[in-house]
Amino acid sequence: MTTRRNLVLGAAAAPLLGRLAVAQSAAVPAGEPLRIGWLAALTGASSAPAVGFNRGVVFAADELNAAGGVQGRKVEIITRDTQGDPTKAVNATQELISRAKVHAIWGPTNSGEALATTPIMARAKMPCVHPCVVDSLIDPVKFPNAFRMAPSNGQWDDAVRAYLLNTLEVRDVAVFGDTTGYGTSAVAASVAAFAKDSANVVNQSLIDATQPDVTPDMLRAKTAGARAIVVWSVSVGMLSRLMNVRNALGWDVPIVGHPSLGSGEIRGLLEKPGNWEKVFMVGYRSCSFGEDGKLPERSQAFVAKLAGKVALHDTSLWWVACGYDAVKLIAAAVESSGASTSEAIIGAWNHTTAYPGIFGDYSYSPENHNGYPQADVVMSRANSQRDGTFALAPGFA
Amino acid sequence: MLASIIASGLALGAVYALIGITYNVMFAASRVMSFTAGQLGMLGGVFGALFVGRLGVPGPVGLVLTLAACAAVGVLTEIIAVRPVLASLEKHLYVLSTLAAALLIQQLTAIEWSTEPQPFPRLLGLGSGILDEKFWLPVLACAAVIGGLEWMYRRTLVGRAFIAIAEDNFAARALGLPERRLRMASFALAGAVAGLAGFSSGQLLLAFFANGAMLNFYGFVPVALGGLGNNRGAVLGGLALGLFQQAANFTVGGVFASVLVFTVFIVVLLAAPQGLFGAPAVRRV
Repeated sequence: MTTRRNLVLGAAAAPLLGRLAVAQSAAVPAGEPLRIGWLAALTGASSAPAVGFNRGVVFAADELNAAGGVQGRKVEIITRDTQGDPTKAVNATQELISRAKVHAIWGPTNSGEALATTPIMARAKMPCVHPCVVDSLIDPVKFPNAFRMAPSNGQWDDAVRAYLLNTLEVRDVAVFGDTTGYGTSAVAASVAAFAKDSANVVNQSLIDATQPDVTPDMLRAKTAGARAIVVWSVSVGMLSRLMNVRNALGWDVPIVGHPSLGSGEIRGLLEKPGNWEKVFMVGYRSCSFGEDGKLPERSQAFVAKLAGKVALHDTSLWWVACGYDAVKLIAAAVESSGASTSEAIIGAWNHTTAYPGIFGDYSYSPENHNGYPQADVVMSRANSQRDGTFALAPGFA
Repeated sequence: MLASIIASGLALGAVYALIGITYNVMFAASRVMSFTAGQLGMLGGVFGALFVGRLGVPGPVGLVLTLAACAAVGVLTEIIAVRPVLASLEKHLYVLSTLAAALLIQQLTAIEWSTEPQPFPRLLGLGSGILDEKFWLPVLACAAVIGGLEWMYRRTLVGRAFIAIAEDNFAARALGLPERRLRMASFALAGAVAGLAGFSSGQLLLAFFANGAMLNFYGFVPVALGGLGNNRGAVLGGLALGLFQQAANFTVGGVFASVLVFTVFIVVLLAAPQGLFGAPAVRRV
């Protein structure tokens, strides 16, 4: 009875959570760890992000435990390798909820998996934070338990469009994507948004990631009068081919779009290093350096803290920072509410204003579960990677 | 634009033709359509990038090693996926077994090599623009293969033994031909042909595990167009496919181009079910 009363109170009285902390913590069995489920695609295709996220997750948990845990409770990360497979992610989610009895879940970290797991977590009222970009994954009415701690695809799209229209002052664009579900939907959304801003999408094309020669697509865009290429794809093969063909055609237009434009894999696929010039990708202010070569102060301090403990040379700082923030965000909710029930954690997140993470300042309300600030989504030079960080694109200070 | 269509169309067409020949060579010795053909082509690119690009082996040595490795995988395919189902060909179990082997090759490559495309080194450093070696190397390889196969089948004892097996398996065995060894040899040959396709087109296709499925698919079209077992038909069908596909890419774009290619393919098969260059099967009774 006491436990049920506490659950109800935790859900209903978010503003009073701090004061209820003592009463509620009494419901937590002594010594029970705070269990955080971590749905990580650590192996298989596209495992690079999860490997980076994992470094931040482990570092944050170690840091919390070294400081005595969360309200005296040890933080326990329960990792399940989903291999990027939605079916495995669904099974792992169910296992984490019903058998491992985790208090909150971080992940999955790609949209394909999240589309499958989000309804399951919603049914179980499992507090969940994830960095997946597909807009429909966040809906406070359908999925009141799900919170996003990275930009949505719409935010990426807004950043790219604003850069082209306002900074580069280009209004005639070609929009390319790959033939995956992501590429198809991203191109459609991007074209619609450009049209709304009265820009001219002179050409749009969906390209198979294995298409060996993209000359036809680039020539059609050039003939149509495009003055910039917008790309939505994670296929580094396709992205590098676009850059090579642009150079072969002697066509001096910017290529702007998905963060994968800065993937280190691209370097080896370019016919000339110069083909990577004038390519701008979505980036994050916290993980970008300016002309002075310095990161923002908070990021700089974080990198210094990681030095010698966490490798950054083969990953992206934002992955590490976001993984770190995820664990800290869950811990902060338990800390402020004094409980680890679903209602307490979700209630605490719903009243979060500018939580100072490393990756960004997160804000959530009952009506808004997209927590990443638009102002922190910037554009970066794609060929400027240095220890997982990128240089700001021209026009950003 | 026309020059670009011809250059890339012929190059891709030559690769499709070589994969079509791979299907044919395996089929001739076993009566099995082995769906590992495209994966063997993909492995040609991956082994080439491994030997020449990563290990720094000289190009010619890298080519020999690549062909040997692909031939070995071809033989392995015969042992694992073909031989066990030969006794019940009429049940078409080979579709399942060779597709499973193809999936196995693809997944192993993804795990051991990379899930992202990897660079393929420049081999000769000759040509630029539409005369770049990446466009004419596959065409050269295709010409060499079709010439070599014609010579072997017409002029050598081994070649004639291959034809005997293909014509009438039981009669060939009755005459004392080592059917099993010849079948293994033809799978090794098929592996080497596919390996050459992947190696010669590595600069165009890159060393990418996902190329296998694409080659499996488009490599089958020349076989159907040219008539099953007809290598010359496969070459003509492959080149026609490559040119048509590139022309469609230029005019209507990637996704619609695929639709157009397969619409034409289906129409052709409806008009000539035995393929454009194949003859209806005739059997003396």
